[in-house]
Amino acid sequence: MNKDFVKLILRRIATSAVVLFLMITFIFILLRISPGDPAQKFISPELSTGLADKVRESFNLNSSMIDQYKSFLINLLKGDMGISYNYREPVFQVIIQYLPFTIIFSLISFFIQIGVGGSLALLAVRKINKPLDRIISRMNLIFYALPSFVIGVFLILIFSEVLNILPSSGLRSFDFDFFSPFGKVKDYILHLIMPVLTLSLGGIAVFFRYLRDSLEETQNKPFVLNLRANGFDEKAITLKHIIPNAAGPLIAAAGVELGMLLGGALITEVIFSLPGMGRLAVNAILQRDYPLIIGCTLAAGVLVIMSNLAADIIRAKIDKRLIKDILN
Amino acid sequence: MKTKPKVWHLFIALCITLLIFRFASVIDIILLFFSYIILLASDFSNAVSQTNFEFIDYLVSGILIILLPLMIFFKFWKLRIFQTSLDFATAVIVVLLFVFIFAPLISGSHPDFQKNIGLTKLLPPVSGVKFLKFERKTKGEQSQFDKFIKLKNQVIKSSFDENMIFVDSAHLGKKILYFQNQKTFEISRDSLTSSGTIPTLGTKYFLLGTDEFGRDIFARLIYGARVSIFVGICSVFLSFIIGLLLGSASGYFGGMIDLTLNRLTDTFLSFPAIFLIIIILALFGNSMFAVIFVLGFSGWMSLFKIVRGEVISLKQKDFFISAKMIGLSSKQLLIKEVLPVILTPVVVNLVFQFGSVILAEAALSYLGLGTGSNHPSWGSMIDAGQNYLKDAWWMIFFPGLALIITLYSANDLGQKIKIHFNPQLSK
Repeated sequence: MNKDFVKLILRRIATSAVVLFLMITFIFILLRISPGDPAQKFISPELSTGLADKVRESFNLNSSMIDQYKSFLINLLKGDMGISYNYREPVFQVIIQYLPFTIIFSLISFFIQIGVGGSLALLAVRKINKPLDRIISRMNLIFYALPSFVIGVFLILIFSEVLNILPSSGLRSFDFDFFSPFGKVKDYILHLIMPVLTLSLGGIAVFFRYLRDSLEETQNKPFVLNLRANGFDEKAITLKHIIPNAAGPLIAAAGVELGMLLGGALITEVIFSLPGMGRLAVNAILQRDYPLIIGCTLAAGVLVIMSNLAADIIRAKIDKRLIKDILN
Repeated sequence: MKTKPKVWHLFIALCITLLIFRFASVIDIILLFFSYIILLASDFSNAVSQTNFEFIDYLVSGILIILLPLMIFFKFWKLRIFQTSLDFATAVIVVLLFVFIFAPLISGSHPDFQKNIGLTKLLPPVSGVKFLKFERKTKGEQSQFDKFIKLKNQVIKSSFDENMIFVDSAHLGKKILYFQNQKTFEISRDSLTSSGTIPTLGTKYFLLGTDEFGRDIFARLIYGARVSIFVGICSVFLSFIIGLLLGSASGYFGGMIDLTLNRLTDTFLSFPAIFLIIIILALFGNSMFAVIFVLGFSGWMSLFKIVRGEVISLKQKDFFISAKMIGLSSKQLLIKEVLPVILTPVVVNLVFQFGSVILAEAALSYLGLGTGSNHPSWGSMIDAGQNYLKDAWWMIFFPGLALIITLYSANDLGQKIKIHFNPQLSK
């Protein structure tokens, strides 16, 4: 069994590396064939042409595309992703500054999504096709349709503009440094309530739907009926038999969702101007900061692949028959 | 026996309502149509030079508003699609399609129409502004072409009207006095009568208020719906074609092609598509067709998987093997044998896809990477409204509501179609 596990992980890492490599190459080519010159921003007309060429050379943009690609790959293998044009710092360090926030933010939202979505699904399935189930399902359909930027803007409208109880942007108040440690934590929490809500509502709806459908399906399976007929406690059946059997699709969906969240909750970060990976990536794209774009892509790709892998491993742990499926 | 409302009831009711409200415009469009035909016969080159998208748009909506209800009422109402019983989701979709066809008639003004911004900006819903309109009476004989142009200018709302000014109040006496922002202006009547101009006072109502440039939010919403639906349909169609072709090729031929395409799909699936979309739109410039193209190309993966799976299982079915034995070509096999079988899962997928494309378009517009400033879009309206949250809630409320209702209906409809095809699924 363990051997299979190691094989699974190794194989996944290998294919993921290929996928990442293809992705980065694709984006590299896209960036180089796109119109426009990233060095333009740093060159003023007063600069002599020699100096302008030097700027371009420092960005490694005046050699041929193949040469650029070669040196890019060699540097990447050494672990050097280049220097961001805008931040004038190694890409790795820029990303390291933004990554912790994204990870904490997405994990909070992720656990809220799973927790709330899961418990709502259990609640609904217990009263299946009763009014409570219908109300939750209907609400769920509405929340599923709510685009995150509409939720975010409406929340700002209600809580920041009309009621004026929550800050509408950023992560800290401007007088953050004068707060007591407790006040600082409170300040963070106040700033994060609306973003977390914005990010989580859609995900709650997704998880609810997955779990409710598969719970309903499992509930009607013969083995559950058999357990019930043998007089097992309903609670024990739910906890020990129905949930583990129904969790498969949920875990797969959770892996994808976590990957998306870690890649950067782009829209939410833009609405609330939060310092996360999504906004970093969008700004890098808009400012044509080539090394940073590739760095962000790589980071997002690695996180997506890692969370998918984690989800697959958990699934395989629960149901060992799946290893073969996942391996192929 | 009480009959439930059907789709065609709603459609005809909408048409009749629109006809009543915009009766004058419809008549004008019909007149314009006839004068256009006369012009085409008499002065072909001038007529052609006057033909553009907007003109045809108006003509088509003016003619269809008469023809469509008649056609449906007398002939097509028995079609199954019109006999679908009405609920919230289908009603919304019908209204959206209606808006898509008749946008110029419904909106009543150009989406970019702006004038006297100081007086019209950020007006709350259901507010009216008085305006002075100077109509020039032309005397004497007119050529056919001049008549046509006059009619055309009257029918087609442009984004600017030089003969109209918004005023706080006006007094039409011997002298024409009008007030704008506590300033008084006057025009003597003699100068007007000598050029044959007659001033009239009217009120323009902004049903859903105006935005920061004094543009009518209702009109922008209507045209925005059009953009959303157009982008949605086109890119869904594009991903349908790509997914169908690649999926059936992959499933049918197997081997190397299958492996390569599968890996390619996994590559695209394992990456947050929004990044790639933003990269392409930001670097290569964003326009409506760029958005359609990019969204179409980023949505084919799920279709590919569905089609591929279905084709693989289809290959072993007897009817497929016998069709192949008879000697049908790949194209015939695809259209006659594969397409009907995979239609069910594909249609469900397409409806969901439609919703997600509309969402993606709005999100891109919100980020400023949408269909561009030439086309009003719900997403960019919300983006603009965010700067005026305190003063003008209606700027984000209405487009946001429209977006939510549309997405909800698309999802609900997808779910309904799914249940319709697989009755054993419970709600």
